[in-house]
Amino acid sequence: MATSGTIDFSKTRPVVGLVGNPNSGKSSLFNLLTGLRQRIGNFPGVTVEKKSGTLQIEDLPPVEIIDFPGAYSCYPTSLDERLVVQELTNPKGDLFPDAILYVADVTKLDKHLLLFTQLRDLDLPMILVLNMADLIKEEGLQVDVTALSHRLGVPVVAVSARANTGIAELKKAIGGLLRDPQAFRPEEPFYEPGVLARDVLADLRQELPARNDYHALLLAHHASWLKHVPEETRHRVQKARVKNGFHSLRAQVEETMERYDTFEPIVHDTVRRAGAKASFSDRVDDVLTHRVFGPVIFVVIMLLLFQALFAWTGWPMDGIEWVFETLGNTVREKLSPGWLTDLLVDGVIAGLGGVLVFVPQIAALFLFITILEEVGYMARAAYLFDSLMQRFGLNGRSVVALISGHACAIPAIMSTRTIANWKERLLTIMVTPLTSCSARIPVYVILISFAVPEGSFLGFGYQGLAFAGLYFLGILSAMLSALIFKLVLKSQERSFLMLEMPDYRTPVWRNVGITVWQKVKTFIMEAGKIILLISVVLWGLSTYGPPAAMEEARAQVQKTVEEQGLDEQAAEDLMASEQLEASYAGHIGKFIEPAIRPLGYDWKIGIALFSSFAAREVFVGTMAIIYSIGSTEDELRIRDRMADEINPDTGQPVYNRATAWSLLVFYVFAMMCMATLAVTKRETGGWKWPIIQFTFMTTLAYVSAMIVYQVLS
Amino acid sequence: MPFPRSTAASHFVAGMSGTIERFTNENLACKLLDIGVRPGSRLRLVRKGPFGGSWYVKIDQQCLALRKQELACILIK
Ligand SMILES: Nc1nc2c(ncn2[C@@H]2O[C@H](COP(=O)(O)OP(=O)(O)OP(=O)(O)O)[C@@H](O)[C@H]2O)c(=O)[nH]1
Ligand SMILES: [Mg+2]
Repeated sequence: MATSGTIDFSKTRPVVGLVGNPNSGKSSLFNLLTGLRQRIGNFPGVTVEKKSGTLQIEDLPPVEIIDFPGAYSCYPTSLDERLVVQELTNPKGDLFPDAILYVADVTKLDKHLLLFTQLRDLDLPMILVLNMADLIKEEGLQVDVTALSHRLGVPVVAVSARANTGIAELKKAIGGLLRDPQAFRPEEPFYEPGVLARDVLADLRQELPARNDYHALLLAHHASWLKHVPEETRHRVQKARVKNGFHSLRAQVEETMERYDTFEPIVHDTVRRAGAKASFSDRVDDVLTHRVFGPVIFVVIMLLLFQALFAWTGWPMDGIEWVFETLGNTVREKLSPGWLTDLLVDGVIAGLGGVLVFVPQIAALFLFITILEEVGYMARAAYLFDSLMQRFGLNGRSVVALISGHACAIPAIMSTRTIANWKERLLTIMVTPLTSCSARIPVYVILISFAVPEGSFLGFGYQGLAFAGLYFLGILSAMLSALIFKLVLKSQERSFLMLEMPDYRTPVWRNVGITVWQKVKTFIMEAGKIILLISVVLWGLSTYGPPAAMEEARAQVQKTVEEQGLDEQAAEDLMASEQLEASYAGHIGKFIEPAIRPLGYDWKIGIALFSSFAAREVFVGTMAIIYSIGSTEDELRIRDRMADEINPDTGQPVYNRATAWSLLVFYVFAMMCMATLAVTKRETGGWKWPIIQFTFMTTLAYVSAMIVYQVLS
Repeated sequence: MPFPRSTAASHFVAGMSGTIERFTNENLACKLLDIGVRPGSRLRLVRKGPFGGSWYVKIDQQCLALRKQELACILIK
């Protein structure tokens, strides 16, 4: 820390924070500096994704690098930005950086230095990183780095996170600053608190635990929500503000204007730009944000995206399926028969295969979304649909969440932090899980073959159309639910769009690769854990049961076999199915059967449904377990086993059209993901909204599925 | 010569431009100032968004999406 002289390296590793305006390239630089040595966690108390990684500089101990969310100034308007201010005004916090890499887009220096001057006035050791140096020549800029460093009083390094230039120099600068944090202490602040703030500061300066005047001023502005400010201090600040008639917004305007006046001449003297030309982005936007073509192109892009998704992921999925089938068969051959082998093959391997087979689709979906984001298209999509979204009580930015929701609701819900209006944000969080996330794909794939015949119409396969229909149903229900919530909830808070549209850029492929890899890894770990656990528990529940009931079932089967003279195979099948019925899982299934009978489900589906409430992708694994128990000899595909399933009462197949559609609709609407509920709870700060979310989605699922079944059967 | 009166940017039509004089809403002023929009910046309405209500605006070199209510708080001279 700046005030403590040198850094005490023995205590903890030094922390270096990447801070800067949104889209200045912090994450790109972070990826370049840390490669895959990153950890993703959460900032304490809130679910803003915290990315940290380690960097080795010369002989220094490893440095921890933290990628902070983008912020425009020390006066935050969204939760993401609040976090930056919160951590940088808390010298006692764990994340308080020993040095800051202030990342600025060199082509927008006239805007990006606002936050720089504010942080500088907090007396934080900083390096100014001029990112996007590759654009300097392209845009005809001339930048005098030495003069800039002299005028701002900090080391300045020009780098390009895209072209990987200037990194060695940057590392040297970091090393230098960490060794001697006192070297670049500011001599005088960029801004002296003006008339509007002077009185309140005079009152509070001694009482606040502040490093300097500007720190005190920020505490006076933000005491009400800063977590590290104790309640008592908060009251005192409030009193002083009222007494001196402190007007936070006016003081902020005054400060900001003055800061621009201070740093503008510096930029003017050190950065020279050639005449402005109509840029490439402008010409592209003439088409992509056109009143009519814009939305049309958006829809076409989405259609192509999903078309490509299913066209390209077929063969890797078949490959993975084949690997797990072979693995299961091999294990069964190699090991002696017994409960352990059954557990391994029917529980673990079948369960894991059920998750991993969908990795290609999830990876592809994240790949497309990340590219759209990197290119700069997402901001345009938000602009195009803002007016439409507003009618449904949402914000243009909700589009990003609703698209990402098709990959996974968790990062989608987290992306709503950029929506400043609480009601719009809440609505987006509530309805995003209705979009068909990739975990639903396996369920759809299996059930659609029972619901829709093969064949095609005008070149479109029926099953493909049904698939598209389910996605559409998800989006439609999300919008309509938002509308209902909008009418029910009242809010006076003003809502803003005010969205910056970045220039179009070719993606930095390193960023794309790392992002996709991390999302897929998280999916495998999170879903894999749950599914493995459930597979094992389910296997146990379906193998064991109340001893009396199991014994009775066994005796019953024996009797039947003797009476009817069944062969060995048939006897085994009968035994297995009777035992499943007598097992604990069977009891659970039977217990909920009356409730799901109107939806067209039997107690076996009940077991799958029950286990799906932890994570919906478990459905397939559960089916594998339930049906492979019926016959352990031949490893038929789950789908074939399901097709063979006959309802003993009616003699008809269990998976007829009505039941399959009813199940599909149920899985479109039902809230079956513990992880999403947990994120909703954290994001909304309590149990109220996740409970409402769970109830409304599940009720919707139940009622719709019942209607579908009753109409179709 | 008529006295130059300032107009809210929401009264403009696509293609019109002018210089920002001041903001009439403090909340919005703070947000705009943060992203670098200031009195003295040149504002041009590039095009109206689909479904009405939002505008594609160019301020100095920067492209922004603003709602009509937001434009109403920006006075142009
Ligand atoms: N030309 C060029 N583009 C870059 C460079 N570094 C990053 N970009 C692009 O700038 C955009 C923003 O990069 P990010 O790293 O996501 O920016 P960020 O600062 O993390 O943004 P937020 O997390 O939203 O605050 C991406 O589209 C990158 O491809 C660079 O050195 N040169
Ligand atoms: Mg980032």
